[in-house]
Amino acid sequence: MMELFLLEHRKLWRRGTTKVCVLVCFVYAVLFGSVLSFQWFSFGSSNHTDSFGNNFDGYRMIRDCQEYSRAFGGELTDEYFQQMVRDYQEAEAAHMDRRLQLTDRQGIQGWLEALYPELKDSSSLKLMVSYVDPDELTGFYERRQQAVGTFLEISGQEGREKEYLMQMEQSVQKPFRYEWTEGWSAVLSTIAGETGTVMAVFLAIVLSPIFAGERRDGIKVLMLTTKNGWRRTAFAKILTGLCFALEFFAVIAAGQVASQLFFLGTAGWDMPIQNIKLIAVAPMNMLQAEIYEYTFTLLGMIGYAGIVMLLSAAAGSSVLAMVSSLAAVLVPTALENYLPFWLQKAKDLIPLVGTGTDIFRTNTLCIFGRYIWSPYLLITIPVLIGMLCVPFAVKGWARRMRV
Amino acid sequence: MELSIDRLTKHYGRKIAVDCVSASFKPGLYGLLGANGAGKTTLMRMLCAVLEATSGEVFLDKKEVTAMGADYRDLLGYLPQEFGYYPGYTAMEFLMYIAALKGIPRDIAKKRVRELLEVVGLESVSGKKLRTFSGGMKQRVGIAQALLNQPKILILDEPTAGLDPRERVRFRNLLADYAGERIVLLSTHIVSDIEAIADEVLMMKKGKFVLQGTIAELTRKAAGKVWELAVSPGEARRWQDEAIVANLRHEGEQVVLRILSDTLPDGRAVPCEASLEDLYYFGSEEGVR
Repeated sequence: MMELFLLEHRKLWRRGTTKVCVLVCFVYAVLFGSVLSFQWFSFGSSNHTDSFGNNFDGYRMIRDCQEYSRAFGGELTDEYFQQMVRDYQEAEAAHMDRRLQLTDRQGIQGWLEALYPELKDSSSLKLMVSYVDPDELTGFYERRQQAVGTFLEISGQEGREKEYLMQMEQSVQKPFRYEWTEGWSAVLSTIAGETGTVMAVFLAIVLSPIFAGERRDGIKVLMLTTKNGWRRTAFAKILTGLCFALEFFAVIAAGQVASQLFFLGTAGWDMPIQNIKLIAVAPMNMLQAEIYEYTFTLLGMIGYAGIVMLLSAAAGSSVLAMVSSLAAVLVPTALENYLPFWLQKAKDLIPLVGTGTDIFRTNTLCIFGRYIWSPYLLITIPVLIGMLCVPFAVKGWARRMRV
Repeated sequence: MELSIDRLTKHYGRKIAVDCVSASFKPGLYGLLGANGAGKTTLMRMLCAVLEATSGEVFLDKKEVTAMGADYRDLLGYLPQEFGYYPGYTAMEFLMYIAALKGIPRDIAKKRVRELLEVVGLESVSGKKLRTFSGGMKQRVGIAQALLNQPKILILDEPTAGLDPRERVRFRNLLADYAGERIVLLSTHIVSDIEAIADEVLMMKKGKFVLQGTIAELTRKAAGKVWELAVSPGEARRWQDEAIVANLRHEGEQVVLRILSDTLPDGRAVPCEASLEDLYYFGSEEGVR
């Protein structure tokens, strides 16, 4: 059985499509999505003459930003927040472009808009950080608490649901530890958070022929007359599919994490995620959030691999299996706006349809009258769906193997 | 060891592919003769337990083969008519894969694969991809895979298709050596493939066995029913329409017809010795048209 698994595994990896898919995904998600994003597109210093608007100096810029933020490092108190805003305004007044680029402008601006809306001058085109009076920026945590409550009410989350979320919010440690946030924001909202959807496309292309391809190759009669027969071959194939999902994930995630460690280092790993999204209620730090997002992607991929293999076993051809596998991810996403709210939340439970960035949200699902924070289910249900597909894949394969 | 089939029948909708056939196979080499569509492949697939019979059963030593499952498949070697392979695999890799499907331990499989590649004359191209192989070379890989587990029951569906005359002879010798204590059943519509080596011949027509026995028995049955008749080319065409003509050859201005007939077809006809090929036409009642 182990020998059969190893040969099936080798068979999958030696296919040109598999190699091309892994390579293309690596180039897209690691080279472009992470390495060049850090070094050039997102974190390179501003250069208005460059087509991307940035210089190829992200590594240096990130180091400088991290160094600069340490001046305000430590606990995010009213005084430190005021000092950050003041510092930004001084740099702007002195036209110190380089220093302005080192500030955590986006983060500060986000906090101001969320917590001090009354200070916004609607007639001004400038960012709030440019003109608010720093001395007025008081009561940061009281205002945040109020903003969270208001947000939940606006979202229609009241009663026991609100109570559940507010209880979660109580566990968030305050005052927040603060360091430069933009790097972690990129990691958690794009690099680790959104890779799953891209990987789903390649996973579907690679795994669709795992069962369906055997019919194309006309080898099924041979399989049926061998000692191991279709049943053991099916298990070897399923193990191969799941193993590939794991390996594919490992290749991409390892590339992204290595790139992250190179460009960002580990600084700020223990900051709360609220530094990125103020009204998040999850008591998580950046590292925990990243582990969650990667776990979400990994379990989603295993779950999705189960779906693809089921469709491969049931469909008449590899192309049909691939199209239906892609439809399983893309159609629910495309139809999202036309679905009732409860169905919108339910569709996120389909492997790789939801997103790991739900940790920043206050979505809940009500199961038998009990409210559960959506990430708990988003991480478990997809993999269960995938595992549930496995016996049906074997059954489908058995049906297709009849001569 | 005895492989037996009891009133084996297979229907595809209204079409009857195999019609209530019974037979018993003991160690030896059996040739299954029949025209295309006679039901040979269907019968072989049922013998391999790949295809479910509409009715009837296949037994090995009185045990029903589908109930034996993996134990039966472990004894089986099968070369299907349409042999599937992975074009990107080398012959060595493909045979190692089939060995794993057959549950042969890796170290034994390696040795066995090397031996078989030599037997089928592919050792020098064992590292080349199957997509680069000619039809005959692929067929030889198919033969090798069927022999991998040293099967006690070897079923070969049209194994000589695509082989050149030299390979055919080599293959026949291989099978003759191999049969011994094993049951070897090979189907073909090329009579010469089995004429020299088969212990017994079964001839199928429209899903039924129309002739069954050793070559000597069968040719004895046909004694006095094979005639040669020298006629003009114009007359030859009439004979081809009216009688079973197993063969024709030109001799000067005349055409010599080999006619199969229970009675003297014409006063000019002379009797001659029957061959298996004559029987094939006799059984199928189709001469050269």
